[in-house]
Amino acid sequence: MKKSLIYPIAFMIIITVFFTSILAFLNYSTADMIESNENKIKREKLLYVFNIPVNDYNPQTVKSLYDEYISETQIGNETLYVAKDEDKILGYAFLIDGNALWGSLRGFVALSSDFNTILGVDFLSHSETPGLGGRIDENWFKDQFRGINISNSTGYEYIIFNPSPDGNVDSISGATLTSEAVRKIINENLNELLERAKEESLNE
Amino acid sequence: MNNDFKKIFTLGVWGDNPIFRQILGICSALAVTNLMLNSLVMGIGLIFVTAFSELTVSLIRKFTPKHIRMMVQVLIISSYVIIVDIFLKAYYPSMSKALGPYVGLIITNCIIMGRCESYAQNNPPIHAFADGIASGTGYALVLLLISFFRELLGFGSVFGIQVLGESWTNWTVMIMPPGAFFMLGIIIWVAKSLSSESKKDSKQEVAKA
Repeated sequence: MKKSLIYPIAFMIIITVFFTSILAFLNYSTADMIESNENKIKREKLLYVFNIPVNDYNPQTVKSLYDEYISETQIGNETLYVAKDEDKILGYAFLIDGNALWGSLRGFVALSSDFNTILGVDFLSHSETPGLGGRIDENWFKDQFRGINISNSTGYEYIIFNPSPDGNVDSISGATLTSEAVRKIINENLNELLERAKEESLNE
Repeated sequence: MNNDFKKIFTLGVWGDNPIFRQILGICSALAVTNLMLNSLVMGIGLIFVTAFSELTVSLIRKFTPKHIRMMVQVLIISSYVIIVDIFLKAYYPSMSKALGPYVGLIITNCIIMGRCESYAQNNPPIHAFADGIASGTGYALVLLLISFFRELLGFGSVFGIQVLGESWTNWTVMIMPPGAFFMLGIIIWVAKSLSSESKKDSKQEVAKA
C-alpha cells in the first residue's frame, strides 16, 4: 500500500503550530518578568563595580539606588555608565566582552574619573564550568580588581597574575584557562577603551 | 494497577536505572555533578521533561504516523525543555544563571528520547507518565550520589554548606571532569556487583519493559 503523504505533513504542521503557540504565549507572558530580572541583575552589577554598597536587594531599593547614582549616556553605539555622587563624578563603567574558555563572556569594568584606577569588575554572563571557571563570580576573585592602579602599566598589561613581580590579581587554581581568558578580555577591552579616551581628549 | 506502578518505579530507580543500567544520559551526569544544588535542579528539570514528554507522546501515539514519530518526539521534548528554561529565567534567575547552557542541553539527554521511544510509544498515558517520573528519579538520585562525593571531596561541602574543617585539603581532581569519570565508574561497578545475583530476572524485565 502506498503511504499517504498528506497525513504526516498535516499532522506535523498541526502539532508544530500547537506547541509553537504554547511557547509563544509563555514567552510573551513572561517577557516583562524576565526583562525586569535582567534589569535588576544589571543594576546590581553596576552598583557593585562602582563599589556603592547595597544593603537590601529588593528590586525597588536597587532601582532607587541606581537612579540616584548612575546615569547612562550613549557614545557612538556604546553605552557609557556614569556614577555621580551629587555633582562629583565617581567614575565610568563600560561593557566588556570577549571569548572565555567555553563561550562568550560579558561584564562591566568601572574606571575612576581620571582613568587611572580600576574601581571594580563584574561579569554579566559567561558559560564557564560551575565550581571551576564559574568561580570568577565569587566575591574574593572580583574584589581583587578594586583599586588597581593602571597609570604605570606598560604594554597593555593592566592585569597581571601573581606571583609575577608586577602581579596584582590571584588566578583561580584549577581554572587556569578561564582566569587567563578573563585577564586577556579585561586587558584588551581596557586597552581599546583607553586608546579611544586618549583620541577623544586629543580631539577636544 | 498498583503493582504496575510499583514495578515501574523499582525498574526506573534500580533495576532499569537509566545511568548505571542503560548507560544513558552520561554527558550531563558528568557535567553538572560538581555541585549538589546544580544536580538537584537538573534532576527536577529532567523528571518534569521526561514525565510530560512521555505523557504527550503516549497520548498521541495512536495518531502519530510511525515513520515521523522521531521528529514528533524531538518537537515535544524541546517544547518542554524551553518551558523549563523560560520558567527558570522568570522565577529563579539565579538558578538559571548557575545552570546556564545545561538546561537547554536537557534536550540532548538520551534518557528522554530513549524512554519515549521504548516505553511511551507502546504504553498508556498514565503508565508512561509514571515511567517518566521513575526514570527521571533514577537519574536524579544517581546524579545526587555522584555530586555528593564530588562536592564533599572537592570542596569539603554539602549543598554549599561547609562540613569538612579547615584541615581538609580539597581534591581539585574531583571537581574537574576526571573526577566525574572516576565516581561514575565506581558507582556503576558497585551497582552492578550489588545486583549481580538478580541479573537474570532483571534482564527479563528489561526485555518486557
